[in-house]
Amino acid sequence: MQQKKMSRREFLRKSLIAGAAGAVALHAKPSHASPNTQKKYAMMIDLTKCTGCESCVLACREENRHKFPEPVHPIPVNWPTGKYDDWSDKREVRDRLTPYNWTIVQTVEILRNGQIEKINIPRHCMHCDNPPCANLCPFGANTQTPEGAVVIDDSSCLGGAKCQAVCPWGIPQRQGGVGLYMKIAPGLLGGGVMYKCDFCHHRLTAGKVPACVESCPNGAITFGTKEEIIKLARERAKEINGYIYGDKENGGTSVLYVSHIPFSEINEALIKQGAGDKKSGKPAMPTFTDNPSDAPEHLVKSLALAPLAGLLTAGITAYKTFTREGSKHEND
Amino acid sequence: MKMIKRHDFSAIMTHWLVALSTFTLFFTGFVQLPVAKRYFISTLPGLSWSADYSFTLKLHYLAAAVLTFALFFHLASKIITRDFDLWPRRGDIRESYLIIKSLITKKPEPPSDKYLAEQRLAYAYMAFNFLLIVLTGMIKVYKNLPGISLNPKLVWLATTLHNISSFLLGLGIFAHLLAFILFRENRNLIPSMFTGKVSLEYAEHRHPLWLKRIKNNDNDQQERSQIFKQQIFDEG
Repeated sequence: MQQKKMSRREFLRKSLIAGAAGAVALHAKPSHASPNTQKKYAMMIDLTKCTGCESCVLACREENRHKFPEPVHPIPVNWPTGKYDDWSDKREVRDRLTPYNWTIVQTVEILRNGQIEKINIPRHCMHCDNPPCANLCPFGANTQTPEGAVVIDDSSCLGGAKCQAVCPWGIPQRQGGVGLYMKIAPGLLGGGVMYKCDFCHHRLTAGKVPACVESCPNGAITFGTKEEIIKLARERAKEINGYIYGDKENGGTSVLYVSHIPFSEINEALIKQGAGDKKSGKPAMPTFTDNPSDAPEHLVKSLALAPLAGLLTAGITAYKTFTREGSKHEND
Repeated sequence: MKMIKRHDFSAIMTHWLVALSTFTLFFTGFVQLPVAKRYFISTLPGLSWSADYSFTLKLHYLAAAVLTFALFFHLASKIITRDFDLWPRRGDIRESYLIIKSLITKKPEPPSDKYLAEQRLAYAYMAFNFLLIVLTGMIKVYKNLPGISLNPKLVWLATTLHNISSFLLGLGIFAHLLAFILFRENRNLIPSMFTGKVSLEYAEHRHPLWLKRIKNNDNDQQERSQIFKQQIFDEG
């Protein structure tokens, strides 16, 4: 890989940023804390620093290998679709998310000011603040931990892939022939287990940062408390006159990207490459704020007020009945 | 035909609000599993929306609000008016057995109050499941609010109990409908869920204890007989 020459001023600037980011990362090492006092964590991915070396991809794979599925063959064919998901013989695939590849690096080329700029984008679960995948899991197999990590429990997931359908980025990936559905009605119900980045939850609870953060040789990924990372991302965006992705998307996430190129342009380039289809394992970067699991405020209010309205109506009805009967008897 | 008033307007409304909202909740809850796409339900004419989780969730919430309203209204009304006719009593299990046995063997069944013993047991069964569904549903809605994350074990427990109690309620509704399909005798009660009235002849034959109770109230016999007269309608 060809290295660009760096000016002295640029070197000093980058060193300062890397130092600041490092200090935050060191300061923000997760610790064992009770859920009530637990701080939420986040990461900032600085696209101006990512060289696309895929160190994060390999580190993620090594770190999480013990969580990868070992399916039973032959994989049951799902009725009535006649399909099934099996990535067990394609474990080395790196150009898309799979049950064996939880991090990918996407590369796009964008024409700006007459020059083609190459942008590398490490991608994995965004760990949403209000994760639709966890909220809408019909079996409670997908939950958000106090640290902010969204984690799928492989022992209770049935692989219905609803989490993939409701994830704005289609992140979770299914492996058939493994999990609870094999003990119930394989082929008829469910279809395996969904897998995705869990923010290296086992490392977070052990007081360590996720493997991708530690592995990046360019300091492109910074990990810290949510508050610190948001602050850092804003500072960095201001510094490069750039943009942030992930702070508002889907109502806010724990993975913030910073780029000097607008994310709408990056998204466009990703879609041109075939990203964006929920089942492609290649997420796009749509800019949006709506969260599919957020019910409109008036619906939630109606639900909260329903018991009270019931009690009140019962009271009024009973009062009317009593007074009507009372006046009837008086008239009699 | 002489008819007697069995249900007031609010009881009929509550029954149908619960029925309508529960049916909506079953369907919108069922397609959350997720089954609409997998089993081609969304390809059926007019059901393409069944695979839209965001829409079916909103519909689920709306129906849940109607059901919660109806259940709280029902419970509070019964307590305020001290109407515990539907509450299970001691000996209901044995009496239910005798009634069902009579229905099958076509022999006279034991005299019943306003409700049959098995109706009181069915009510308790349904009420327990409804209570569990509403309670766990509330936890699930709360969990979905932005900024709220609950203990994963609690989420799993609430979700699993919600699913199990919904399944049990479904079985209960199936049995409820089966009771009318299988036993002709029970079908006499159907008009009461629309007009509030049942035939006096049927009530005298099957619910003599109820009629006796209305006629001869120990506390205020005169007043009660007056009410009894007011409850009988001659509908030719």
